[in-house]
Amino acid sequence: MTAAALATRTRATLLPGLPPLLACLALLLAWQLYARTLSMGGIPDALSTIRELPAILGDRESLADILDSIRRMAIGFAIALAFSVPLGLFMGRSRTVAAMVNPLLMITYPVPKAALMPIIMLWFGVGDASKLLVIVLGVSLPVIYHAYQGARAVEEKMLWSARAMGMSGPARLARIVLPASLPEILVGCRTGIVLALITMITSEMIARQTGAGNILFNALDMAQYETVYAMILVISALGIVLDMLFEYVRGLLTGWAEPRHDLLAPSL
Amino acid sequence: MIAISGVTKTFQRRGGGTHLAIDSIDLQVAEGEFVSILGPSGCGKSTLLYIVGGFVPPSRGSITVSGRPVTGPGPDRGPVFQEFALFPWKTVLGNVAYGLREAGMRKREAERQAEALIARVGLKGYESFYPKELSGGMKQRVAIARTLAYNPAILLMDEPFGALDAHTRVRLQNELLELWERDRKTVLFVTHAVDEAVFLSDRVVVMSRQPGRIKAIVDIDLPRPRHRDELLLQSRYQHLVIELERMIEDPPEEIRP
Amino acid sequence: MTALARNEALIGAIPILGLLLGWQAAVSAGVAPSALLPSPVAVFGRVAQNLGDPDFLGHTAVTLYRLFVGFLIALAIGVPLGLAGATNRIAGAALKPLVRVLAPVPKIALYPALILSLGFDDASKIVLVTADALFPILLATFQGAAMVEPKLVWSARAAGTSPAGTLLKVILPATLPSILTGSRIALVVACIVVFLAEMITSTDGLGYLLVRAARNFQTVDMFVPLIAISAIGLLLNGALALTRKKLLVGFPEED
Ligand SMILES: Nc1ncnc2c1ncn2[C@@H]1O[C@H](COP(=O)(O)OP(=O)(O)OP(=O)(O)O)[C@@H](O)[C@H]1O
Ligand SMILES: [Mg+2]
Repeated sequence: MTAAALATRTRATLLPGLPPLLACLALLLAWQLYARTLSMGGIPDALSTIRELPAILGDRESLADILDSIRRMAIGFAIALAFSVPLGLFMGRSRTVAAMVNPLLMITYPVPKAALMPIIMLWFGVGDASKLLVIVLGVSLPVIYHAYQGARAVEEKMLWSARAMGMSGPARLARIVLPASLPEILVGCRTGIVLALITMITSEMIARQTGAGNILFNALDMAQYETVYAMILVISALGIVLDMLFEYVRGLLTGWAEPRHDLLAPSL
Repeated sequence: MIAISGVTKTFQRRGGGTHLAIDSIDLQVAEGEFVSILGPSGCGKSTLLYIVGGFVPPSRGSITVSGRPVTGPGPDRGPVFQEFALFPWKTVLGNVAYGLREAGMRKREAERQAEALIARVGLKGYESFYPKELSGGMKQRVAIARTLAYNPAILLMDEPFGALDAHTRVRLQNELLELWERDRKTVLFVTHAVDEAVFLSDRVVVMSRQPGRIKAIVDIDLPRPRHRDELLLQSRYQHLVIELERMIEDPPEEIRP
Repeated sequence: MTALARNEALIGAIPILGLLLGWQAAVSAGVAPSALLPSPVAVFGRVAQNLGDPDFLGHTAVTLYRLFVGFLIALAIGVPLGLAGATNRIAGAALKPLVRVLAPVPKIALYPALILSLGFDDASKIVLVTADALFPILLATFQGAAMVEPKLVWSARAAGTSPAGTLLKVILPATLPSILTGSRIALVVACIVVFLAEMITSTDGLGYLLVRAARNFQTVDMFVPLIAISAIGLLLNGALALTRKKLLVGFPEED
């Protein structure tokens, strides 16, 4: 490899984090300038908000609350994946199953799952179970939908040759349909993450007990505006970190597929 | 009419290297001349055509058309692509009328002229069809009509019949020759089919690969108007085809990346 | 309708009917007191009743207004930005990292800040809907525009279209399928978010109706706004599918 080629290569591997970092800084700067000039003290500026962060993240109770949110999200996500992926794949390979599940999917997709909280709380109380349930509901629909789309697009000929080799039905689903649909399933997972975050925050807002959403909206009610803005930063960072994590996992899982690092991946 | 001098194109590779696609091409095409570019896959035929069209800038060298340097695309050079590149959101009529409308013609008049052209390429009755509703050969007829509509002095055709079956291919070759005999446009025609090049052209430019260079220019001294059935029996035709085929095969080239 | 499609529609009705029957059976068996689980008959009876109620229709109209205005603004911003980002190197370099950072931010967390700076009225909710609907549209437009076959643009340029003209005459129509796909996702999210925002500030709209019913323990009324938003989502999806069919006559079919 020539020196020039090596140089571009290293730049390419070192740089991907830089532009987003610059974008973060630019956004914070814009916020700072806006708060200081146009809004005339109407909102806290970026610097004083960042200074507020140690107070929140250092506080045992709020940190526990935030970790609680993350734990619920992780568990809810895992449960949703465990049944949504097989269901979606199954739908993709069987017209009857697809015809059966599709209408139900279409009816329930636009219903905000967090809005079921008041009803679900009546049955399961305000504890973990209700919040977990709405997260599971929120994540499962996009995952089912995209797993279905992915499985449907799998080439019939690949399955024929597997069948000719004597592979059983479930084995074909796990060893051929699943890997082939993985890129599309991951698109569903990304939408799932977004919906999980929305659902998590609003469910905690409705069942004021624990969680990041709870801190955020309590601070709003008690007019602690610095805390409000600091919590917005925390939750935004959570969203961005989850997205980076997701990109990393996607890179590991679908290295064989076309690299789609770009803006792409219809995320919500 | 077209003067290509010293045209070289190097592509930047993703890894950071460069790739020399075509090297120092010199070629003159006279007005009303039908010139084919013949060569193996990957020798840079399309690249050369895109440079003449002004779609891709050369790395070195220059092109002039009627004495004016080429800096971008223009309605004096009409392209016809192997992939048809029809506008999928427009009907046959809309596609063919596009260039006329762009030239500022009234809708009524543009459509009248487009209809006449559509009839001329044998697609009367298909005006309201969308490209997806047409066969490959029909699509290519529309693409040719779309380009002919704005009456370019030069036609740049990139393997226009490459994606068609043998039968359709022969029919369209005959029709193209007929069209050309009528208005004698200057044509730069890319192909890798030897018989097609000999049948249509006044001159055939043979290119070699890695990098793409001009290997030879062969005059096709067959009388016109040409008719396929008579031509196939002529020994002069057969000789030219065999000569060109040898030229392409020989010496055996290795494919180097 | 072909026999096959009719069969599939029938099969699709099975789980929905099953759900309703199971629901009714649970109520009849007295599994839960009707204060916790009202019967489907009662719920759909109330929905029918509400359809003639000006108060309910007013709240529905408010929700629809916010949904549409927010969505249309997102469309008006997202499509030009996506086109610019895909066709202009500088715009793309500026846009990509910004989108990379902003797209994964859960917009609902910004809602308190929106309330503080824009108030409890329509404005903050509309901006929230816009923020959530923007990214699916922007991303889809960007991707679609970046993948337009260059030879389409070249064909237009050779026919005399200016570089700027190709943006409107070639890139935009060629990107239309992607824009509509992005819009479909954006509409679902918009439905979800407008409802949640109305629940949070609870002044008016369908979300408010749910909160009001919950506060008064009127379980039957809690189901009504949920069914309404589901119906709105279905209708919008159907409308979008029709638009798709109309606008994309020439494009290859896909569902
Ligand atoms: N955009 C590009 N980037 C990098 N390399 C390119 C690009 N376009 C063409 N090339 C390279 O330039 C060379 C010539 O390509 P070109 O498409 O002109 O060949 P061709 O003679 O038209 O081949 P074919 O008969 O298969 O159409 C090839 O080696 C190709 O790899
Ligand atoms: Mg080519």
